[in-house]
Amino acid sequence: MELQLGLALPPPPLIPIETFDLNSYGNYETREALGSNALSWPLLKLGPADNDINNIHHHNSSSSSSRGGGAGCKNRSFDEAPFFDEKRNVPKTLHLLLWTNQPNDEDDDPSNVLHENSSSAIFKNGGEGLVGWPPVKTWRKKVHHQIPNGGAENNRLLAVENGIGGRASKSTYVKVKMEGVPIARKIDLSVHHSFEGLTNTLMRMFGISDGNRKIFKLTYQDREGDWLLAEDVPWRYLFFFFLFLTLCLFR
Amino acid sequence: MQKEMAYSFPDEVLKHVFSFIQSDKDRNAVSLVCKSWYEIERWCRRKVFIGNCYAVSPRMVIRRFPEVRSIELKGKPHFADFNLVPDGWGGYVLQWIAEMAGAYPWLGEIRLKRMVVTDESLELIAKSFKNFKVLVLFSCEGFSTDGLAAIAASCKNLRELDLRESEVDDLSGHWLAQFPETCTSLVSLNISCLGSDEVSFSALERLVDRCPNLRSLQLNRAVTLDKIANILRRAPQLVDFGTGNYAAELQPDVFSNLAGAFSSCKELKSLSGFWDVVPAYLPALYSICPRLTSLNLSYATIQSPDLIKLVSHCPRLQRLLFLIQVLDYVEDSGLEELASSCKDLQELRVFPSDPFGVEPNVSLTEQGLVAVSLGCPKLQSVLYFCRRMSNAALVTIAQNCPNLTRFRLCIIEPKTPDYLTLEPLDAGFGAIVEHCKDLRRLSLSGLLTDHVFEYIGTYGKKLEMLSVAFAGDSDLGLHHVLSGCESLRKLEIRDCPFGDKALLANAAKLETMRSLWMSSCAVSFGACKLLGQKMPKLNVEVIDETEPPDSRPESYPVDKLYIYRSVAGPRFDMPPFVWSMDEAVKILH
Repeated sequence: MELQLGLALPPPPLIPIETFDLNSYGNYETREALGSNALSWPLLKLGPADNDINNIHHHNSSSSSSRGGGAGCKNRSFDEAPFFDEKRNVPKTLHLLLWTNQPNDEDDDPSNVLHENSSSAIFKNGGEGLVGWPPVKTWRKKVHHQIPNGGAENNRLLAVENGIGGRASKSTYVKVKMEGVPIARKIDLSVHHSFEGLTNTLMRMFGISDGNRKIFKLTYQDREGDWLLAEDVPWRYLFFFFLFLTLCLFR
Repeated sequence: MQKEMAYSFPDEVLKHVFSFIQSDKDRNAVSLVCKSWYEIERWCRRKVFIGNCYAVSPRMVIRRFPEVRSIELKGKPHFADFNLVPDGWGGYVLQWIAEMAGAYPWLGEIRLKRMVVTDESLELIAKSFKNFKVLVLFSCEGFSTDGLAAIAASCKNLRELDLRESEVDDLSGHWLAQFPETCTSLVSLNISCLGSDEVSFSALERLVDRCPNLRSLQLNRAVTLDKIANILRRAPQLVDFGTGNYAAELQPDVFSNLAGAFSSCKELKSLSGFWDVVPAYLPALYSICPRLTSLNLSYATIQSPDLIKLVSHCPRLQRLLFLIQVLDYVEDSGLEELASSCKDLQELRVFPSDPFGVEPNVSLTEQGLVAVSLGCPKLQSVLYFCRRMSNAALVTIAQNCPNLTRFRLCIIEPKTPDYLTLEPLDAGFGAIVEHCKDLRRLSLSGLLTDHVFEYIGTYGKKLEMLSVAFAGDSDLGLHHVLSGCESLRKLEIRDCPFGDKALLANAAKLETMRSLWMSSCAVSFGACKLLGQKMPKLNVEVIDETEPPDSRPESYPVDKLYIYRSVAGPRFDMPPFVWSMDEAVKILH
């Protein structure tokens, strides 16, 4: 069963693009902090002499890594056609970029402000909203929700709706459409524990800044075709509803 | 001259000798000796392993190895397990089945991992291979019980049907009844992934009854505790058993029946399942505990004292997988108990019961793992989720367990530093790679700078698979790994500040690896295009679900990047959100 969340939003404000210098890496901010639209993502300049492979010196100290891989020792089934051609073209020194081996950032300082900023930016919800983290398989997440002590009622409902046991959370994935953006995103409802968390993730996903957040309301369409506010529904029922209805985000 | 003096054996003799060579590595080496050995070897190779189904085409495999009886294929990248690979990415097996149906009428074994298998594929398998024996669908999806019914009905000599961790569409519970009465050949049946209504229990009982060679049986959650005794009594020869639901109201007759049934299984060495475990029923296992070598309690919401009690009855335990409960009990003590009673332990996996919990759970810490490393000198494989770690603990673990071959540590909160010193965990992981000289697989977590990659590049000479998340400071980190790790086959990276430099400077390295995954990093579209153009033996694929990468500046970073070596060229089944950087493929939108 598939649901759709629609987002309607005002045109995004133009954010000037800054060019990025490899020497000042401290400006790096992760994608998560900036939202997926990330117009202010620092742009990386490629190094010099990068297009002409014939000019590049061999810097790689490990010789085995430059072999074509047909030797059979490391790989199991990778077979190249001309086995007995001694003049086989093995790219010994194929580097598309000269590695200058110069430190280009402050990587010696472990308490780099960079880490602090990134940490707090990404993880303000305690990791909620990060796809695929922690790296636990989807069916394991289901198991965890069965814990009688820790599990809230909504989790049990979720388990009931999706069938007990091995089914993965494919059925808890919701498509989110945004007005003005042609391609939908997907969000896994089962990793969220509150309406707040869900909204935060959606806002981050579509790059809606904090200021614009209040403009948008998450709504769902009931069987009669009326659009009702999702936040009026207690969270534990949201899953139950979501499985049967279509959702949309209105301004 | 084809046959020189040294090789004057007739082909039949060489063939016979080669038949003793089973490992793929050795077979590959044999085929490189000379042309005639290559020819002889290819005609008698019976087993083929293809680690990436897109690295080679079915036609190429069939052309080279005309007499294959067993094939193993892997599809999606590992990070698909954690929803990082969008649905529809690929990994379809149908074309392989279709081509093999014509070329390999005697194909007997198909093993698939992370592939999309449709009912059509299963029906084709059932129809095409008269001698079909083994079907393993590990973490696969796309099929229903209809497909299973076709397999059950047609495969007269089926030995193994293993659906572990796959997603099956439940359409009907009666597919098991499709096994004909004449089918008595089952040795292994794993249906643990099936949902509630997908198994007809009476059909299962009859099947178990008539298969005297059944050694491995994993039931699904729908099978209730009271039914377990019935099954076990019909199959006392079982070696490996997965219970279904292990919950019921405590009733003396049910308990004694169960205990009796277990004790009649004199060969039972391995247990799993235990959904919704009711601890009062665990003592029913005590009679077989002394023989157990493998115990998988990772679905069982078992509490520490019950775990301790159970495990203390299992001195021969080599493999233990379990789930840590977030409760008042100090879970480290459970591990300490394990360390003192299970001296033969080789593999330990500890899963988080509440991976998304915001509150820090202090009941399981690094101390548990340190205790196990101290008490279990044979430890080789570790998967450990926890919320805090220290360099000192990692160093201790490394020194205690130099035989580690797999070490996967997941500190749940990304970028968590050493909780004692607040420093990065570079030194700790460095000690792991330095002391564990046979380390083949490593997963990193916590706060890490480029230094950890320097250690990995320097010491991780046998490292084959590395998983990195939220780590490193610059391209230097990636460069260390790509230039230093000689045995590297699979590298998967997410959310790290690695960009174009290291990738382009080590482009040749990528041809020696199976695959590289990078998501939420800083690799630009331009660099991807460059790699695609200059490296024809690599398939460079950009994944972006929001918009085409060429609708943005070339210096813009790509969302997800998957690079793998291939002799088959770019694939033809890419969905709209995957773009090939191969020059020959036009980007159409």
